[in-house]
Amino acid sequence: MAAVLEPYIYVGGIHQHTLITELLEDLGGYLIQKVPAATEVTLVMLIPREDVHLIEELGKKLLGKLERAPLTGTEIAVVSPTLASHHLPHSACDVAEFMRRGGANTNMIGLARGMGRRVSLSDNYERKLINEHDLAVFSFGTFADCIKNKKPKLLEGVTVPKIVAGGPLNVKTEEVAGADLYVGGIGRVAHRMRKPGELSSLDVLLEKVVEVVEKMREDLAKDPLAVLPPRVMKEIHEQIPEIFDVFSPAPVTLQLDGLRVKLPYDEFHERVENLEFDEGVRLSDMAVITKSRMKNYILVKIKRESEVGFTA
Amino acid sequence: MEPLETFIVESTVPEEGDAYKSIVADIITELVLGGAIGRIKVRVRPEDSLFLMAIILRGSQPTVKVSDMGSVDVTNHITKEITISIEQEKYLPQLLEQLWAKYGRTGVRQPERKTLILTAENLDEEVEYLRNLVVADPQKTLQSRLVEMAIRATPEGFRVRYHSMDKHVFVFAATEDILKKEWIQEAQDIATELQEDE
Repeated sequence: MAAVLEPYIYVGGIHQHTLITELLEDLGGYLIQKVPAATEVTLVMLIPREDVHLIEELGKKLLGKLERAPLTGTEIAVVSPTLASHHLPHSACDVAEFMRRGGANTNMIGLARGMGRRVSLSDNYERKLINEHDLAVFSFGTFADCIKNKKPKLLEGVTVPKIVAGGPLNVKTEEVAGADLYVGGIGRVAHRMRKPGELSSLDVLLEKVVEVVEKMREDLAKDPLAVLPPRVMKEIHEQIPEIFDVFSPAPVTLQLDGLRVKLPYDEFHERVENLEFDEGVRLSDMAVITKSRMKNYILVKIKRESEVGFTA
Repeated sequence: MEPLETFIVESTVPEEGDAYKSIVADIITELVLGGAIGRIKVRVRPEDSLFLMAIILRGSQPTVKVSDMGSVDVTNHITKEITISIEQEKYLPQLLEQLWAKYGRTGVRQPERKTLILTAENLDEEVEYLRNLVVADPQKTLQSRLVEMAIRATPEGFRVRYHSMDKHVFVFAATEDILKKEWIQEAQDIATELQEDE
C-alpha cells in the first residue's frame, strides 16, 4: 500500500537546500514546487507521514522552517467580478495570497461582465474554465443585498465547490444561493488588507477552505484515484524533459483529482497520453486528457479506481 | 470651511455605509483630493441600484499666471530682449510648452534653469501679455480628478451616470437602470442640505 503523504512547505536558505530535496527523494516523497527568491528558497512538497520528522530535523540543521501546508496539491480559482480597479487588486489578490500560503496554486479569474446587479453575467467559457479547478473562491463586495439577491447568478453552472467571500458579517451561507460556504469580513477595499480585523478574516477564510478541501480529500479516499497526481508529475518530469523549459512557476500544477500540464496541447498531448508506468500501463488508460481552457495547456483528470479496476 | 469637515456615507444598512466610507476615504487619499473637498455626502441604496454623491469644494483655487511664478522685464532695449526670471519652478514645464508653441523652440533661450530670454518687436505690449499669460488652471485638473473619483467610488456596474458641476458644488448620481428624475433631485437636495450647514 502506498505511504500516506503529508503536505508541507519548507522555507529556508538556498545554501544546501538540495540536501532536503535529495532526502525527500530517498524517502519517496514528491517535490511539487520550488520557488527560489534571491538567497531564500520555498519548497512545496509531499512527505510520507512516518518520515516527516527526518525532514524536520534536517531543516532545523539548515536553519529553515517546515510548516504544514494543507492546501498543497490543489488548484484554486479566485474569481473577481471584473478586472477593473473596483474589484482588483485588493481583497481578491489578498485572498489568493492567503491560499498560496496554505500551499495551493491559485489562478485569478476576472469575469468579462460580472459587474453590477441586474446586468451581471458569466460566460459559458468562464464557467468551464472555473470548473477545471478544484474549487473556486468568489470575491464579492460590501452589500448584503447584492450578495444575497443578485450575485449568486454568477455561481450558477459552476460545479466545483464555491466559496463566497464578502463584506457583511451577518450573511449566512444558506442565504447565498448556490454557495457551499460564505465567509464575511472580506469585502471591497481600496487598500491592501493589512489591518488586524482584515487579516483575521483572511485567516478564517483559509481555515474554512482547508475544511472544504479536507472533506473533498475524504470523499476522494472512499473511491481513490487510479494513480496519484504527484506520481504522474514525477513521470512527466522523467519522460517529457521539455517540461523543464517551461517558464511558468508551476509547469505541472497538481489538482486533487488531476493535473494541468503547461505544455502546448497539440504538440504534446500524445506524449502525455502515452506516459508509461512501471506497472505496464499508460496514462491514457487511467485518465482523461483534454485541452485546457486556460491557454493551450493540457488538462489531465484521473479516473477513479472503481472505473479503471486497478491502481498504479 | 475645513478640509473634509463633513464626511458622511449613508447606506440602507449602517455597517455597510461605514465599510463604504473607508473605500471613499481611500480613493480621496489616492487622488489627493483631501484638501480640495470641504463637505461630502454619499448615499448608497443597493436595493435600488443607486449611488448618489454631493461634494462642496473649498473656495476655488485661482489660476496661475506668469506674474505669479516670476517676474517679466525688458532687459535689453537695443536687442529687444525680454527676460522671465522664475521663482516658482512648479509650473515651468507648462510655461515652456506654451512659449515654445508661440515663439518656437529657437525663440526661447534658457541660459540657466530659472531664466528665459525671448526677443520681441513690440516690447511693452509683449511684456504685458506675458505677465498675464495663464500657465495653469488647478480648477481644471481638479474637475477631472473629481470625475475620476466619482467613477472609482461608484459600484462598477452603475454605468448610467449624471453629474453637474456648478461653481463649487459637485453633484453625482449613478445607477444601472434608467436614471429617475427624482433621484437626480435627491442628489441635488443632498447638495443643498450640505450648503445650508454653512
